[in-house]
Amino acid sequence: MADQTISPAAPLPATEAKSRMPARRRSGTLMPRLITGVVILGLWEGIVRLLAPAYVAKPSGIALAIPKVMTDPVFLEAIGVTLLSVIEGLAISLVLGTVLGLLIGRSNLADRLLRHYVNGFYAIPMVVAVPLLALWFGYTGAARLATVVFASVFSIIVNVSDGARAVPRDFLEVARSFRAPSRLVLLEIVLPASTPYFLAGLRLAAGRALIGAVVAEFITAIPGVGYFILYQSRVFHHNEAFVGVLLLAAFGVGFELLVNWSTRRFLPWYRREEMTA
Amino acid sequence: MKRRDVIARHAPFVLSLAAGIIVWEIVGRNSSPAFLVSFSETLRRVWELTLDGSLIVQTIDSLTLFLSGFVLALLVGAPTGLLLARITPLRVGIEPYIMILYATPMVALIPFILSMMGFGFAPKVLVVFLFGVFPILYNTIEGARSIKPELIEVARSYRSSERALWRDVMIPYTLPYTMTGVRLAIGRSLVGMITAEFFLSSTGLGQMIMGASQNFDTGSVLAAILVIALIGVGLMRFGLRIEHHFARWRN
Repeated sequence: MADQTISPAAPLPATEAKSRMPARRRSGTLMPRLITGVVILGLWEGIVRLLAPAYVAKPSGIALAIPKVMTDPVFLEAIGVTLLSVIEGLAISLVLGTVLGLLIGRSNLADRLLRHYVNGFYAIPMVVAVPLLALWFGYTGAARLATVVFASVFSIIVNVSDGARAVPRDFLEVARSFRAPSRLVLLEIVLPASTPYFLAGLRLAAGRALIGAVVAEFITAIPGVGYFILYQSRVFHHNEAFVGVLLLAAFGVGFELLVNWSTRRFLPWYRREEMTA
Repeated sequence: MKRRDVIARHAPFVLSLAAGIIVWEIVGRNSSPAFLVSFSETLRRVWELTLDGSLIVQTIDSLTLFLSGFVLALLVGAPTGLLLARITPLRVGIEPYIMILYATPMVALIPFILSMMGFGFAPKVLVVFLFGVFPILYNTIEGARSIKPELIEVARSYRSSERALWRDVMIPYTLPYTMTGVRLAIGRSLVGMITAEFFLSSTGLGQMIMGASQNFDTGSVLAAILVIALIGVGLMRFGLRIEHHFARWRN
């Protein structure tokens, strides 16, 4: 064990141990997970059948609704526009948030001028702005996009600026002793060092973006998954509506897994505990 | 010397705040009142609404809802998380489902809650609870995972009683993580509060925003947002303080 950590020339045993470990762990955790899943679904089905009115969503009903809903062109289009808007909004937030975050993290002046605004906006539950954004942008997709950006940009700014501030001082001092130009310092040191924070911010931003998109659709009644859920549940098609919730959940989980995976894959030097902090 | 330091430190913030207010004022005065009203007009609305009592009543309404849901989330989330931390097989089994629920945008469940539970206080508390409980649960479990198995083994080999094990190992190690969850839950519960007030029975500051925006009364919308912003910033600070207080244990 000690040998491996000291000599970088012996990567083979390490990778072997790595690939064996999760496989063993997975087989140990799969059974309890499956059993719990079956129990949860069973309880849900039983309680709804015994106690709730017939329209309430239950696993068997949802399972039957899935093929119908997933082939419904209206639903597919709704999923498409919502996800497109979320991704578009996240992309805008990403660029805007990284630029502003680096600025606040690396420049004292920008920090003092902007930090209180950023923290203030970050603390506001962003859904309050949706009625106002709907007034400004009209009851259109533009209002949804604006909501997504507004909901997600501040978590990226906050995390990127934290990351840019947390660059180890030694790195910067070495760069200075070698007279590295500031452009190189930014690209080669600050940016990589703040990537884990950036990813943590992105994870938070994605969750907020989804909420923002759904709330915007609820209020403006423009087509999308949120509106699909609202409409179907109003006409008491709860099983059909729940398929929409499942897809939103899948998107949320998928994004979470993608961020976790890329942290492990591209930033193996970063420990997980620090990311949740 | 010291006073000059204080001025030098705070001057940029005060200046930027003043600049922001001036920009708001100028843009507000030059646009249609349905679109945006100026800062001074917003303050005037805050004052009017405070005088006729509606702002205070609505704020108390909203805070009651927030506290009910949040306290419930804490009372359910933290003990459940700790229990799951101790009973490993149960934790392993239920962990992925909690992760899924944590990542699911809970707003999507509001239409179901509306048609099953109707209008009233209880469904709204449920919404705030659902927004707040999963960050607490998720982070508590994360904390439980961070306990080194050796610690529990050592405690066991010294024949530690179950109670002592909880008191000296489980709770001290998971609590800092729970507090991270609490901070996140405060923010999420606020979102839950507003969305519940938007889409379930309309009350509180959420109703104020919705009602005013439908009447193009932008001044009242901004007044309510201003109050929510103050509450949000205050609660966020409070959450960060609790988190830092407990984070000292982590190291």
